[in-house]
Amino acid sequence: MSGVSKAKKLTREDELLQQFSNNVTARNSATFYGNAAIVAILPIWLFYRIQQLDLVSNAILFTAVSAVSTYLLAMAYARVQFVTKHKLAQKREQAINREVALEFGDRKVSRDERDERVLCRKNEVAQYEATHYSIFYNNSVFLSLVVFLGFYLFRSLAPGLNYILSVGGSAGLVAFLSTGK
Amino acid sequence: MRLFVLLACVCFTYAEEQKLPEARLLSLKKVLNRYLVENRDVSVDYELFNVGDAPALNVKLTDRTFPPSDFDVVSGSLDAKFEKILPGANVSHSLVVRPNKYGLFNFTSAEVTYRISEDSTEERISFTTEPGQGGIMPEVEYERRFSPHYLDWAVFALVSMPSILLPYFLYHSSKSRYEGLVKSKAK
Repeated sequence: MSGVSKAKKLTREDELLQQFSNNVTARNSATFYGNAAIVAILPIWLFYRIQQLDLVSNAILFTAVSAVSTYLLAMAYARVQFVTKHKLAQKREQAINREVALEFGDRKVSRDERDERVLCRKNEVAQYEATHYSIFYNNSVFLSLVVFLGFYLFRSLAPGLNYILSVGGSAGLVAFLSTGK
Repeated sequence: MRLFVLLACVCFTYAEEQKLPEARLLSLKKVLNRYLVENRDVSVDYELFNVGDAPALNVKLTDRTFPPSDFDVVSGSLDAKFEKILPGANVSHSLVVRPNKYGLFNFTSAEVTYRISEDSTEERISFTTEPGQGGIMPEVEYERRFSPHYLDWAVFALVSMPSILLPYFLYHSSKSRYEGLVKSKAK
């Protein structure tokens, strides 16, 4: 009986460790890669319509650059999320305490149970906000950079080279900027 | 010897005085477009000036330099006829063609024939100026460089907005909710 309880406790501890570690959960990872893939393929429209880069003959180029950009963007999402999550967790502490107090009401609960509830809720909220903030921030920077590089800085280059430099370069720059926080 | 030179001078002066008045046409061919683009109109302008002292009659302008395999005539004609161009007067003729291929094209001169005076039956043949070699740009390249693509940008903005606005909205709604909780506690 005590073995089962120990295992349960370990699992709970593992869960908490997982929540506060740098590792991205599978669900989060799927969200990041899904978002990154969508955003990485958006510039293809601009290069196909405006730079007249043919879709069929450049299919390999589009696939390769989009795949690399997806990986770099997902990496940037994870890094920004990790840094933001801890800042947000501190900011939300007071509000979460109040929310949990309202939730328990007059019910008598132990201090440990209450603290654990606050910790879990704080982690959930910080994770949720950090994930969406990270996606918003990185998408904005990436798309702005693509437009600036592709249609201003490298506009006179050959369309293929322009696509590689502006999309690959923007994704690289976003990933690089995410390390600086 | 001196007598011979004097005689020659007198003869030359007499011949000059006896020369009949005749028309002299100066003709100009101009391509008006700044950029020559495949499947886009190219305007060509011809101007004829009579700098002679007699009217030019039965003036025919013929341009055989636009082969039907490379150009379609959109407006105007490759031939023009003017009954009379008075001394000191000028006439012009315009033509709009559309190149159906891209690449380098040598714009050469058109041919002008006219009678030099009313008393003469002599037909003079002259040529217009040559605009020279011009590069006809592929339509795709022209679109890439000069078209504003408003619709394409609008579609891009429409498609990319959800990827920015949706995460921001979700982040902001949660942020507002918890900041509201703190404020309500402070009150």
